[in-house]
Amino acid sequence: MSDIRFSGVTRVFQRDGREFPTLAGIDLAVADREFVAIVGPSGCGKTTCLRMAAGLEFPTTGTVAVGGRIVESPGPERAVVFQQFALFPWKSVWDNIDFGLKCKGEPGAGRRARIEQIIGVMGLQGYESAFPHQLSGGMQQRVAIARAYVLEPDVLLMDEPFGALDAQTRTVMQEELVRLARVNPRTVLFITHAVDEAVYLADRVVVMTRRPGAIREIVDVASVRRAERWDRHERIEDVMDQESFVHLRTHIWRLLREQQARNDH
Amino acid sequence: MQPGHSAAIGVATVVLALALWALFTTAIPWIDTARFPAPADVWAALTQITVQGYADARLWRHVAQSSVLVLTGFATACTVGVALGLAMGWSRRAEALLNPVFLLLRPIPPLAWIPLAIVWLGLGDAAKVLVIFMAAFVPAVINTYTGVRAMEPQIVEASSMLGARGPRFVREVLVPAAAPHIFTGLRLSLQASWTTLVAAELVGALYGLGQVLNNAAQDIYPGMILVGMVFVGLCGGLMTAVLGWVERRAMPWRAA
Ligand SMILES: Nc1ncnc2c1ncn2[C@@H]1O[C@H](COP(=O)(O)OP(=O)(O)OP(=O)(O)O)[C@@H](O)[C@H]1O
Ligand SMILES: [Mg+2]
Repeated sequence: MSDIRFSGVTRVFQRDGREFPTLAGIDLAVADREFVAIVGPSGCGKTTCLRMAAGLEFPTTGTVAVGGRIVESPGPERAVVFQQFALFPWKSVWDNIDFGLKCKGEPGAGRRARIEQIIGVMGLQGYESAFPHQLSGGMQQRVAIARAYVLEPDVLLMDEPFGALDAQTRTVMQEELVRLARVNPRTVLFITHAVDEAVYLADRVVVMTRRPGAIREIVDVASVRRAERWDRHERIEDVMDQESFVHLRTHIWRLLREQQARNDH
Repeated sequence: MQPGHSAAIGVATVVLALALWALFTTAIPWIDTARFPAPADVWAALTQITVQGYADARLWRHVAQSSVLVLTGFATACTVGVALGLAMGWSRRAEALLNPVFLLLRPIPPLAWIPLAIVWLGLGDAAKVLVIFMAAFVPAVINTYTGVRAMEPQIVEASSMLGARGPRFVREVLVPAAAPHIFTGLRLSLQASWTTLVAAELVGALYGLGQVLNNAAQDIYPGMILVGMVFVGLCGGLMTAVLGWVERRAMPWRAA
């Protein structure tokens, strides 16, 4: 069981001796093997939420628990895809992906097969020995995703993981993520700015208000997906054409626009 | 500019300087060769020290003596210095513990250790290694420390997320992350090692390039002084070149 539970989470940052309330009471339960996407205005505290689940940041009040245990430190069972990749510049693509497995103490033969497979999935063949600075931004992002996937973690924490990808690669990655999720579902917390990506991937979409971030609404996508049988469609564009899809997307879009309007005055 | 081009210019400059040197000491004797040697004097001194020997030994013996002392002092200082720098950079507790001592030692010029080293260890090799150690140690610690502190927090977070701990973390994350700074420190340490070695040998030694310089000064022998200086420069330059080669090999990800 690897559910994520935010209970009354607030976070106040201190900067220049002033207090910046960043999260104002987050209550959210992500069920075991559920895929939850978070959307919200820039700076509303999405990354902060994700970092708390990762054990890299801690609430000012309230608790964050994974699998029923309060999160105290980071670990490979909660793999993070960082917004800024955070690859090791001194390690090749292969060694970057391999590092987490090595730390886990996995034997070499098993590692090899898994790394080769994930490199294939991510379309990184031929770049095994390249260093991160020799790759494009999109490729670096794919290495960061591979580094997290290869650990086969209970919980995947992804911070705008497809943000740096071109539209075509992005689509391939989204379809791949859905495929992986079907084969081997995990608990996923996924931050994005792209509303259709959120609706396409997630079981539920959390819409946040601007800073100090609170939950504006939680939109249930899974029931619509099931009722409308979106998985009949192989391709993402066919799903996005569904009336039910458009309807959800527009609804979320309006919620975000409402935050934007509050920002303007 | 093309690399070949600038190398050619470099060679031309050196050749020109040598030609001017020969010109003003030999052909048009504007320079008093009792104060600054002519090329022939230097050649004579070089032949003398290589064939018959000077200051109780032949050239290779002096070179070997000085190089071994420098390498010993430098290697110990780097090992200890990098380890301390890593510890102080990574652990606040180690920093709290070690930093006061370090801040106390740091402003003391390395050469000021010479008298104490002689009192403790006499005029032998051990005293010189100690002085070199004191000189080389400081830049190794400071730069390693800086390198660890300059680490991107994201990298530390990623490595703890992946479960890196203990020796593996030090070997595969901490050291490579700090490596560019560490090598800067090692280069400074190496320079400091040669500087202090020559000074320490000037004070007193049986063999060594500093001893050659010392004897030559007492004998008022400009040709030999220049030979000594040139060989100190050559040895230092060679070791720096080797270190540069190691640096490039050790950090392939920084190659252009
Ligand atoms: N360590 C910190 N110290 C001070 N303030 C911080 C810190 N981390 C985050 N903040 C502030 O908290 C707020 C939320 O940051 P966060 O990174 O969670 O936003 P976000 O929703 O992920 O934004 P974006 O969509 O732009 O990535 C920002 O205003 C930011 O300045
Ligand atoms: Mg963010």
